Amino acid sequence: MVDFEFSEDEIRFRDSVREFAKRYIEPKWIEIDDQGKIPMELIKKIADQGLFAIPVPEEYGGMGGTMVMAALAVEEIAYHDPAVAIAVYTLLQNGWPLALALFGQEEAKMEILPKVASGDAFFGIGSTEPQGGSDVAGNKTVAKKVGDKWVISGEKAFISGVREIQELPEGGGFFLVAKTEKPGWSHTRITDFAVLPKWNGKIREEWKPTVYEEIGRHGLSTGGFTLENFEVDDKYRIGEVNKGFYLVLQGFNIARILVAAATIGSARWALDKAKEWLTTRKLFQGRPIASFEGVSFRYAELYTKVEAAKYFVYKAAWMTDNTYLTKSPRFKPQDLNLPVAMAKMMGPTTATEVYTEVLKWFGAYGYTKECSAHRGWLGTFSYTIGAEGAQNIMKYIIARDTLGSDAVRNVWVKEE
Amino acid sequence: MKVLVAVKLTYDINQLKFEKDGTPLLDACPRVMGEADKCAMEEAARIKDAGKAEEVVALTVGSSKEHQRILKDAYAMGATKAVAIKVNDPDNLSALTIATIIASFIKKTGPYDMILLGSGAGDTHSSVVGPMVASLLNMPLLANADRVKVEEDDITIVSTLEDGQYKFRSRTPAVVTVTSEANEPRIPTIRDILRSKKKPIDEISPEDLGVELSKVDLVDVKRYEVPRKRVKIDATDNVEEAVDQLIKALEQEGVI
Repeated sequence: MVDFEFSEDEIRFRDSVREFAKRYIEPKWIEIDDQGKIPMELIKKIADQGLFAIPVPEEYGGMGGTMVMAALAVEEIAYHDPAVAIAVYTLLQNGWPLALALFGQEEAKMEILPKVASGDAFFGIGSTEPQGGSDVAGNKTVAKKVGDKWVISGEKAFISGVREIQELPEGGGFFLVAKTEKPGWSHTRITDFAVLPKWNGKIREEWKPTVYEEIGRHGLSTGGFTLENFEVDDKYRIGEVNKGFYLVLQGFNIARILVAAATIGSARWALDKAKEWLTTRKLFQGRPIASFEGVSFRYAELYTKVEAAKYFVYKAAWMTDNTYLTKSPRFKPQDLNLPVAMAKMMGPTTATEVYTEVLKWFGAYGYTKECSAHRGWLGTFSYTIGAEGAQNIMKYIIARDTLGSDAVRNVWVKEE
Repeated sequence: MKVLVAVKLTYDINQLKFEKDGTPLLDACPRVMGEADKCAMEEAARIKDAGKAEEVVALTVGSSKEHQRILKDAYAMGATKAVAIKVNDPDNLSALTIATIIASFIKKTGPYDMILLGSGAGDTHSSVVGPMVASLLNMPLLANADRVKVEEDDITIVSTLEDGQYKFRSRTPAVVTVTSEANEPRIPTIRDILRSKKKPIDEISPEDLGVELSKVDLVDVKRYEVPRKRVKIDATDNVEEAVDQLIKALEQEGVI
């Protein structure tokens, strides 16, 4: 039987996040976007509220919740932080910790996840490299086994959380993707590691970070780093050797759902702001702007698209819960590829479309810095470019899973 | 210490919308634990957190799914037990009936050292249930507390009256009504929420408490109305003059 209702627990949880975000995030989001930093005490507050590691089992310090709950939390936070820095920080602290909980080794999970859940450490994704992010199999960072340790060298680029790791009391690290033993294009020679450049408060010298300057969602840092003979204990290896490609793609699926949730939360805020404006702003002898069909019909289209994107997000989140948490035999990890790609394609694209229109509805005021809508525009636009998968990669996945891989593959690549 | 908190299911006034003529759209408004009741619950939770109370019983009159939900919220905030009074139409019971039910419950399951209630409900805001409970139980009443302090068997409150702030003190047991200014209620975490759903909610009927509903009056609320007055001040040409006009208008209304 189809049931489109959230459960009572999910509604109570969503309402609690709404109240939290209204009380602690809404009054600060503009200041955070201006200052380019989420205050450490706010990160701690979000953690104390139990909004990190939501779907991670309680035995690893997680909340024992679900991906649907994580998506609800991220959407609500993004509604109250439409520039989405805080929402994206939160989603990273849900998605990648879940991936570690699913695929990591027991000892590493017990060591890392409680510190992420408590907000004392950050755990994100370290996949993209200077030559690109979409071609994961083309990554050049190499991990070599030396004795009982792994020695990793390479360069990562456009990585979230590089500054936060340095500032958080415990530090943190990444679900890092490396080529096993030698470089070269291959998806069967990739191994994942939990790499912790700062841990127990100490920064490792083999890690050299830089932080970039970006055009939007300034509260969360993006940067790059090099690893030079960075030693990692085997306990931090995630999954089997050379199976890393398939595991990180599952991690991307989890995180993509939450990225889409963040963008629709922000888009909902923009539409609500626009509604206020369109129904009260009067022109042509007292007509509200909404009375012009050129405006109201466009509003109707965008409202519908945001609602549609929401369905994609929550269906994908529900499928993820069935796949990994309740382990329903009806779902396999690869079944997630299509619904997740559709959610990730719809969310950011719709949000950007909403903002482009909303800014125009606000007229010249929309183009001023005083009107805060541009912050949401720049923040959500980031996710049409990349972050857990570029839009064209989402389209490729959708085409591949519907038309068939032989029909759509236009680049034939060989293992090197 | 044993504390009882009476909470009411009421309209979420932050989400209440109105018709043009001022009629509130009640059917479209979500219902939640009253704001002042939440503050009463928060006071009880703080007393428990400070180690001064072992038991915090949350009570509501009504046992629908929504009533059960606010009791789960009370659990998530720190209640140790939750009880729903089974009545068919709690919204149409008079304040005296509600107070009689609460007082009867206290007599039957007590003694309690402290009875906390919100100073008024978000809908009717009659502010009489607390005083009535105190009267029915012949207990001291500390009303409209903006601050509450508990020391052993001694309760002190600060209450804001028209001519200033007053301190009132009483020995336990006492009835305390709490305003929505008293504290910032905690927001239950996901763990609190998930754990609260597994906790039991006891149900008791008024008959079990010796209260016969047929003998007490029922109130039928026909319509809520909020008096509204709109004063227009034109600030297009002269802002300073508009500010003076605004101050005068607010003074006339007795707002400042």
